Amino acid sequence: MKEELLFQIDSLSRGPMSVKAFRFGVPDATPSCVIVGPMTGNAIDQLWIASHLVRFLRQKELENAGFVKGEILIVPTANTYSFNMGKAFWPMDNTDIDVMFPGYDKGETTQRIAAKLFEKTNNYDYAILLEARKDHVECVPYVKILNTENSDVEDARDFGLDFIYQKDVDPIDTVSINYNWQVWNAKSFSIISGKKGTLRKIESGKVIDAIIRFLSLKGIIDYKVFQGAKGNIVTKESIEIIKSAAAGLFDALAQVGDHVAHGQPLARIYNALDGSLLQTIVSPSEGIITCRYDYPLIFQNAIAYRIAKLSNDY
Amino acid sequence: MIEEVFNVKLPVNETLTLKRNRFCPEDITTSTKRISIVTGIHGDELEGQYVCYLLGKWLNEHPEHIKGIIDIYPSMNPMGIDSITRGFPFYDVDINRIFPGSTSEFLPGQLANAIVESVKGSDYAIDIHASNIFLRELPQVRISKLFADTLVPLAEKLGIDFIWVHDAVTVLESTFSHAMNTLGTQTLVVEMGVGMRITKSYGQGLSEGILNLMAHAGIIEKKPMRVCKTAVSTLNSNVHFINASTSGIFVPTLEHNVIAMKGEQLGEIIDPLLGCVKESILSPCNGLLFTIREYPVVYEGSLIARILEENKAEKQ
Ligand SMILES: [Zn+2]
Repeated sequence: MKEELLFQIDSLSRGPMSVKAFRFGVPDATPSCVIVGPMTGNAIDQLWIASHLVRFLRQKELENAGFVKGEILIVPTANTYSFNMGKAFWPMDNTDIDVMFPGYDKGETTQRIAAKLFEKTNNYDYAILLEARKDHVECVPYVKILNTENSDVEDARDFGLDFIYQKDVDPIDTVSINYNWQVWNAKSFSIISGKKGTLRKIESGKVIDAIIRFLSLKGIIDYKVFQGAKGNIVTKESIEIIKSAAAGLFDALAQVGDHVAHGQPLARIYNALDGSLLQTIVSPSEGIITCRYDYPLIFQNAIAYRIAKLSNDY
Repeated sequence: MIEEVFNVKLPVNETLTLKRNRFCPEDITTSTKRISIVTGIHGDELEGQYVCYLLGKWLNEHPEHIKGIIDIYPSMNPMGIDSITRGFPFYDVDINRIFPGSTSEFLPGQLANAIVESVKGSDYAIDIHASNIFLRELPQVRISKLFADTLVPLAEKLGIDFIWVHDAVTVLESTFSHAMNTLGTQTLVVEMGVGMRITKSYGQGLSEGILNLMAHAGIIEKKPMRVCKTAVSTLNSNVHFINASTSGIFVPTLEHNVIAMKGEQLGEIIDPLLGCVKESILSPCNGLLFTIREYPVVYEGSLIARILEENKAEKQ
């Protein structure tokens, strides 16, 4: 393992923000894979995943110098400043680094961070972003691929996760690192999991296993792995969105990953002042809960659950 | 006439309501023109509040001159405005990056959708932004090249200092103005002043400009004024961006809205701990200093100033 300083950003009163990377295997060997950790400072699950992948590879490489056959670069996070103050976005102007790609080296601070990160990560065969959802939900671990000419569902199956979300490209996606990696011919994936601001060790462990499985199946590491899931392809159309009709205290009865039946109660909403029951949210279809609203107070018309509907098209 | 265009219940005994004030003549026909004045999508930008007030005041005082429909939406992000929050509170999302939205999206997307559905059908719309809290801006209209042919002549009616025609960028397709222009409402974006503050003279100038535009469009009856001070930039290359190359405290040397000469000092980045100057920032050209940094703390990359290069600007 080689520890590298990818780049550094100075601050008026704080110590410099040093963005570190860890390199494994043989420089320029193929296939190569880059794994980039979270750019929002509350994605603790993803920081856990990235750091534990570094730990795993470091230990395996110590045991067996030929363990990594290709090349792997891991950048656990490019936004240590926000992690250190419990903030999601860039501390100064609250901008999201992951809407600044491919970056601009003469632009604003976060455009420069994006440019430096992109320059160091854009020439790998496979590129994986560890991402937390930006809305207030907890979700099952899944692979997100953007629908472009370069995207490849079959590669995504090698993670062995239950769900692969095939997302159409919205304008905002064109400035994400995932999209820009693809433009530069990498096969790129986002792995999304967990819940902001907390550590879900079991779900995070599944993601760590998934990435190790992927690295193994792609011949990047010399390691035997268990078979994973074949991967159900999910699109916008196959997800049922369940909204709250009332606002108040939100008591979730069903959890992410649960297989729920048509008509099953999923959550209750109570008046936040007098405790009267305002709504019992019931499942409109049979399927698996992929996302659940994760805060105990809920707005009216908020998305309370997303369910992958059971159908034969997977 | 105050109308509610969107309602949603909040968790603890409150309803979030989007309101507009509609001014219209007695008789409305299919040829009656309609304009929507929109502001407050960014909750920390308040310059538009004063403009809405001045327009409302004029319309209240001159009901006999109203020939078309004028809808005023002062607060597109009500919780944001009342709490110095740029984005949609709780969701921490920039509403001006999620248009046109839809009813099946998360709440900010539903709000965006409600705004679009409500403004849809207007002949014109004006979206008033202040700058953010970091920069002070001369009043300017920003127009994507895509829509320049129709929008530049319209913007000229505002008699504003500067019309900035910029390249089309995919990510800006998720703004209010792009959504409305795509739906056939000619929509102008105005940027002026600075976040969290009101610059009275800018507000007065813009409200007069909007009345003038409405007079030209036959929405109000008023003698159109002659406008002559607009400087149009039709090419991106006319505008020079000056960014900090080091972190520190920025202290301006030049005032906003002056002609800077090539090589002239715009300001300095100082180090208060060491008591020294870290960077002296010089003008790269002769031109109008139309943007200057207001918030002193800078990182490498922080925008310090924008200058409209003089000889390349087409004077009109
Ligand atoms: Zn704004």
